[in-house]
Amino acid sequence: MAVAATPLHKQMSKRARRDMWTFFAFTGPTFILLAVFIFWPIFYSFYLSLFKWNMVSPRKTFLGLQNYKDMFSDDVFRLVVKNTLIMAFFTVVVKMAISLYLATQLNKKIRGSNFYRAIIFSPTFTANVAIAMVWAWIFEPTYGLMRSFLRPLGLPMIDWLKSTSHSLPAVIIVLIWSGIGYDMVLFLAALKNVPLEIYEAAIVDGASPFHVFWKITFPLISPTTFFLTITGFINVLKAFDIARIMTEGGPLNSSNVYVHYLYQNAFQWFRAGYASALALVLFLFIMIITLIQNRLSKSWVHY
Amino acid sequence: MKKGIFILVVMLIATTFLFAAAKAEEQKPDRIEILYWRGLTGVAGEAQEEIVRRFNESRDDIHVVVEFQGAYAEILQKMQAALAAGDVPDLVLLDSPHLQIFAKDEAVQNLDRFVKAEGKGFLDDYVPGLLADSYYDGSLYALPALRSTPLLYVNADAFVEAGLPKRAPKTWEEFREFAKKLTKVNDRGETTQYGVGFTLGATTAHWYFQGAVYAYDGRVSDEKFNMYLHEEPAVKAATLWQDMVFKDKTGVPSTTHDDLFTGKVAMVFGSTGSMGNVMRRASFEVIPAFIPGQVRNGVPVGGSVIAMPSTDKWRQWAAWEFLKFFTSPESQAYLAEMTGYMPSRISSAQVPSLVEYYNKNPHWQVAIDQLKYVQPQASVISLPKGTEILRQMVEKLLIGNQDVRKVMAETEADLIKEYNENFK
Repeated sequence: MAVAATPLHKQMSKRARRDMWTFFAFTGPTFILLAVFIFWPIFYSFYLSLFKWNMVSPRKTFLGLQNYKDMFSDDVFRLVVKNTLIMAFFTVVVKMAISLYLATQLNKKIRGSNFYRAIIFSPTFTANVAIAMVWAWIFEPTYGLMRSFLRPLGLPMIDWLKSTSHSLPAVIIVLIWSGIGYDMVLFLAALKNVPLEIYEAAIVDGASPFHVFWKITFPLISPTTFFLTITGFINVLKAFDIARIMTEGGPLNSSNVYVHYLYQNAFQWFRAGYASALALVLFLFIMIITLIQNRLSKSWVHY
Repeated sequence: MKKGIFILVVMLIATTFLFAAAKAEEQKPDRIEILYWRGLTGVAGEAQEEIVRRFNESRDDIHVVVEFQGAYAEILQKMQAALAAGDVPDLVLLDSPHLQIFAKDEAVQNLDRFVKAEGKGFLDDYVPGLLADSYYDGSLYALPALRSTPLLYVNADAFVEAGLPKRAPKTWEEFREFAKKLTKVNDRGETTQYGVGFTLGATTAHWYFQGAVYAYDGRVSDEKFNMYLHEEPAVKAATLWQDMVFKDKTGVPSTTHDDLFTGKVAMVFGSTGSMGNVMRRASFEVIPAFIPGQVRNGVPVGGSVIAMPSTDKWRQWAAWEFLKFFTSPESQAYLAEMTGYMPSRISSAQVPSLVEYYNKNPHWQVAIDQLKYVQPQASVISLPKGTEILRQMVEKLLIGNQDVRKVMAETEADLIKEYNENFK
């Protein structure tokens, strides 16, 4: 027995070693890609956030945590955070409400529902830059498209994009419009997965359509709702191009949002350190939100 | 066996590097390829490609590869990335205020030795007002490539309709009176045509305002970063603009020249470099004119310069050759004819093709006529956040309707803070 044990042991370790190499061979490429393009930039931007650096100079001045402290005394930072949260909240809530409504309507057997689905989905595969430019024209009060809709109603013409009170709502409207299609398609898929027998049983039991929706449909599609809430919220936090093209964050920063402000700091004002600090804070914020939402989801998501 | 191959590969790589290093020490190569990063779209982009084509045709020893990198802001961003990566183009087109930031840290080459090698008087034919902002700390860091000034583009048809003379206003006061006559209000009380669109926007808002301040014989800041926004000329210019928007209701903030093309406004500010686009796109007669004067005429020069980030000796030599070609009287005349940008060479005005072109299209001559009034922009434009602070100022005036003197004081304070923290 003892004689046989040694070769067996050797054999095992050889195999284990080979397994280890196989493991690295398969995970290596992915790991290297992640390390180079995800982990390294995160660590490097944390490193940069401790310095004052204009990206041109060979010299970096060490500041410690000063960049993080500066955020508290930065009025524009406060405004930008407020704008971003308002934008994220309204965009996600309104967009999901509309797309859920559209999904329930298009889930019925109506003529041309495929056609409507395609139309509503089309903004999803349109470039945001093009969307922003067209909407900038729509909002124009003298010759824009919105004029022909609002004017017959006797509503006053407002120059949305050059008003401190209307520029952010304008950006939100465009974000909602461009995101409805994607949400709707996912809701439609979720609705199709709800077993028909449950509906039949509910109808036999005499449940009203209102009850059917809130007691059956809504709980059963909650994983999708949850998924869209998280991804929608995070996507809006990162939204940049619509505001960039439509308003450049203006006027007076009224439509300036987090990532756009970060971009301005880094690439227009040469503040790599402060911009890196902003990026790190956003990173932590998104991580915390994801953790909280994950925790909360257990109480209301029915998988 | 395997180890042997490995060592062989390592040695092969090492020797390649050695050869490459040795090659750099060698004499001038037969053919040098250099990279030029251009910006600007439309006619201005095509004209640059044409200059490159002409240069490549004329030389066997140098070949220029031209790459389009986007708008000025994108070039800036890509230059930052290129410097961080250590892989820079040999020449780059920069928005003139951006030059200082690169020159300050020697990220672009000091051109003094090239100028010196050309012999005395080499720079004499360059328009002094267009060359001035290519210097940093007494040394030359770029040559003027596509220089522009702010212009007032006027819808001549609307002028005739309003019973005005078919010419642009000469002073800011006349400008205000004209705007009143040009403004049309319908029976519902809506303004269907404004006198003027005041340009907002991160890169241009400040420029037209500087023009107005120069006209009132003032300035925004000097080389020592003393601020003059609180003085009468700047205050007068700001008050006039604000009153036209909020009291007269004849001016409106504007972000696009579409406002002129659609008839929303009858006058709009724009760069000389937009002349090609504006004149060709409008369905009515457009007169490009001087920005109004008041006490005097004066225009802040804008547009772009070409700088040399190249770090290799022979590539620098080749880059300088192309730079000379790009700013030659003939090339500059060609660019002026195509785009409306101002030629940066004095003798361009005598190049026959341009003379002929101006005879046929007299309006275009405004670019050359303005040359005698050009002066550099305010020093604060070179601060990293300088244009943004001035943009906020214009927005506070024309959208926020805030008190002029308070706005000016805040702007000065912001500029001084920016200078102390990020430039000094």
